[in-house]
Amino acid sequence: MTFEEARDYLLQRARELGLELEVLAVKSRELAVQAREGQIEEITQASQGGVGVRAVVAGRTGYAYTEELTPEALDWVLQEARENALLQSETGGFLPAGGALGQHDLLGEGLSAPLEQKRQKALALEAGLRADPRVQQVQMTRYAEYETQATLGSTRGVFGAFRNGYALLLTSAVMAQGQSLKQGYEFDLAKEFHALEPGRTAQVFLQNTGRLLGARPLKTGRYKAYFEPKAFAQLLGLMGWFMLSAKNVLEGKSLLAGRIGQKVASEIFTLIDDPTLPGGLASRPFDAEGTPAKCTVLIERGVLRTFAHNTETARKMGVENTGHAARSYKGVLGVAPTNLFVEPGQGVRLDNGVVVTDLMGLHAGANPISGEFSLQALGLWVERGEVAYPVENFTVAGNFLELLSAITALGTELEWNPMMGVVGSPMVEVAELSFAGA
Amino acid sequence: MLDEALVSELLKQARRGGADFAELYVERWRRRALRVLSGEVKEATSGIEYGAGLRLFYGTEVVYAYTNDLSPEGLLELSETLVRLKGQAGQVDQAGRGGLDFRKSVAQGLHAPAVPLSAKDKHYRLERLLEAEAGARVAPQIKQVQTQLLEWEQEVLVANSEGVWCEDRRVRTRLYVTAIAQDEGGLQTGVAGPGLSVGLELFERYPPAEVGRKAGLQALTNLRAKPAPAGTMPVVIGNGFGGVIFHEALGHLLETTSVARKTSVLADRLGEKVAADCVTYIDDGTTPHGWGSSEFDDEGRPTERTVLIENGVLKSYMVDRWGSLLTGYQPTGSGRRQDYTFAPTSRMRNTFIAPGKTPKEKLFEGIEYGLYAADMGGGQVRPGSGEYNFAVKEGYIIRHGRIEEPVRGAMLVGKGPESIKRIVAVSDDLEMGPGMCGSLSGSLPVEVGQPHLLISEIVVGGQA
Repeated sequence: MTFEEARDYLLQRARELGLELEVLAVKSRELAVQAREGQIEEITQASQGGVGVRAVVAGRTGYAYTEELTPEALDWVLQEARENALLQSETGGFLPAGGALGQHDLLGEGLSAPLEQKRQKALALEAGLRADPRVQQVQMTRYAEYETQATLGSTRGVFGAFRNGYALLLTSAVMAQGQSLKQGYEFDLAKEFHALEPGRTAQVFLQNTGRLLGARPLKTGRYKAYFEPKAFAQLLGLMGWFMLSAKNVLEGKSLLAGRIGQKVASEIFTLIDDPTLPGGLASRPFDAEGTPAKCTVLIERGVLRTFAHNTETARKMGVENTGHAARSYKGVLGVAPTNLFVEPGQGVRLDNGVVVTDLMGLHAGANPISGEFSLQALGLWVERGEVAYPVENFTVAGNFLELLSAITALGTELEWNPMMGVVGSPMVEVAELSFAGA
Repeated sequence: MLDEALVSELLKQARRGGADFAELYVERWRRRALRVLSGEVKEATSGIEYGAGLRLFYGTEVVYAYTNDLSPEGLLELSETLVRLKGQAGQVDQAGRGGLDFRKSVAQGLHAPAVPLSAKDKHYRLERLLEAEAGARVAPQIKQVQTQLLEWEQEVLVANSEGVWCEDRRVRTRLYVTAIAQDEGGLQTGVAGPGLSVGLELFERYPPAEVGRKAGLQALTNLRAKPAPAGTMPVVIGNGFGGVIFHEALGHLLETTSVARKTSVLADRLGEKVAADCVTYIDDGTTPHGWGSSEFDDEGRPTERTVLIENGVLKSYMVDRWGSLLTGYQPTGSGRRQDYTFAPTSRMRNTFIAPGKTPKEKLFEGIEYGLYAADMGGGQVRPGSGEYNFAVKEGYIIRHGRIEEPVRGAMLVGKGPESIKRIVAVSDDLEMGPGMCGSLSGSLPVEVGQPHLLISEIVVGGQA
């Protein structure tokens, strides 16, 4: 059975059974080429996908999915989803009504190129790194491309599809200088194969990792912090988004609960999520429930304007839906950002403190419920407006909401980072944070 | 799961382009997840995951393809794709002619569930989660309790052109409780999450109310805890999940994934002294019902108990097929993958520091000022520089040899090989704890473990 046939089969059977059903079918394609020591080490090609359903029975919601597209597996999905729904005692569940959303192609011919050219991208990136004698070992160099086709349909009339994808260059390598070793990584993502430039990515890696060689210990203390965009984007994508999710607010997990209309950040801080951004890596025509995309200002000059909603959270809180519904075919309904970004500011002037270039250990060291974080960081020591030397073996700690209020300046240029969602940030200066080291 | 003649034909077809080795991996998962928040079922999910991956070796070059179209046409198309990727279709390899004579090995059920997942209905599960929740509500400050139950059943077939035909069945169950405590000062969390390769007897091994209570008490402790101090100091690390520090600081550096590429600071150092005498480090894929155990690895090789470090001396790495080809070390049954969407790489299974001889109380004696990291969260490492970090979930100040007030939000950071040398004493109370480990071949269940142990100095990241 094809994905379209599976979707139609499920909707047909649901109507016969009197079940409210939403079907999400996702088909994806992957190609990855990995280079090592001037040779192609590994090539992966794949096609994969599945169908996931959200069923509503008498106001109760249940989920099930399958990657096996046989009538038996699909019938099992319907039966499990129904059983799962009936476990709920809450009865507020519903599927939104909708209509035809159209077929959208957000990728076009962006990834069309012969395999040989794709191999060359990976080889060229590796060669670019090896040209620098300080590169001791290249752990991984990879060209990869992903393409997905998502189809959404429901018994309440929602019907639409879109195709999206991107290409990626990624590398991880170790640089050495004397006794000092630093492992770094770098990547570049684009919706156009030809927009990837291995030479540029190699230069960025050498610059970003090379500047950390010869790092000295950092003395424990409270210093001014300058977060580079990549570091701040990770913190924001994890902590900020968690607190702005209306689902987490409703579940008593967000520190921002009850603070709409209040000042929650520095007044130079404005946070926007825009799924309509032309060429944005996370742009999409509609969300996972079929709500058409629109731009949302979440925090405006430090004031919390709205949480991010799907139809369920919006109805429970009695507010307007922002169209942030998210669901993978294996997953459950949630809210997720698209192109989330901090509006750039007037610029940052280095004074004294620590430039935080990257953060590590976010999955364990940042607690989005308490808002507290203590994270291993990489960085540079700054004295009298100049970078003095790199520093290592230290952590930066604080509370994310206090950090937002202590922002004193923002850089002028936005950089996008796809590690924790697709997040754009300028350089962020914070008045003072706690650093632990020697 | 698949017909023998089809598999044989597929492996033959796949080697048409001159590959030295072909391997087919097929799996079917049934997964269920149930999440309850403060008495209400938030989400219940069930799913089937089903797919196949085909891997070819041309020397040490690997080509891999996967699909979830497992019809004969779909699988032969997969093999076509692989041969095309290498761009060598048309060459004829005689080695595959005549079909394969498979040597079959089937799992003996060493880790099979005592109470199968099918033995009880969904309401039974819901009742257990509600018991866990009730157990977590140890005080009025516990405002929210989230309980989750994860059930995974996986059937695996691995067949290769060397005649290996291996069928394994793996069942894993995990209970996870998050308690949220709140007062004027803010929100704090406590967690507990036992998991094993078992069925529903998990609830007998770990009574839900006790699991809940542990999470509730931890949340309360964190609520009254002060921010952790900052600086370099001696640290006693608790047993059980405390072993995550060596998972990060040591374990990842001993996988051929980084050793073969020489991106591990511990590459080419077999026989050398890399840790203090009191350190013996073992990775055991055979622990009965261990969260990271299985009878076979994902390359069809029986799992084994691998002594990595013995009394401070490096004895072995964790070796998969690819790593073995590059380094010449014998495979250790360590080839693992999250699912068919990943080619396998060398990975940890159940890894622990063996018990020592120092009584636990002795570890604290003589510490003027330090940290007791009683329970740990996850961590991360960059094997090339050895720089690692891990988070403390429940911590206390040690003052004049005594455990005193609780502190929260500590992150320990260091460089693996240096920290290992600073383990100065190991106690005798080994315990294990389950976790999920992410690396090149995806996210995998592993156990980490250790007895209580003392590190003479390490950077504690807290509030300065």
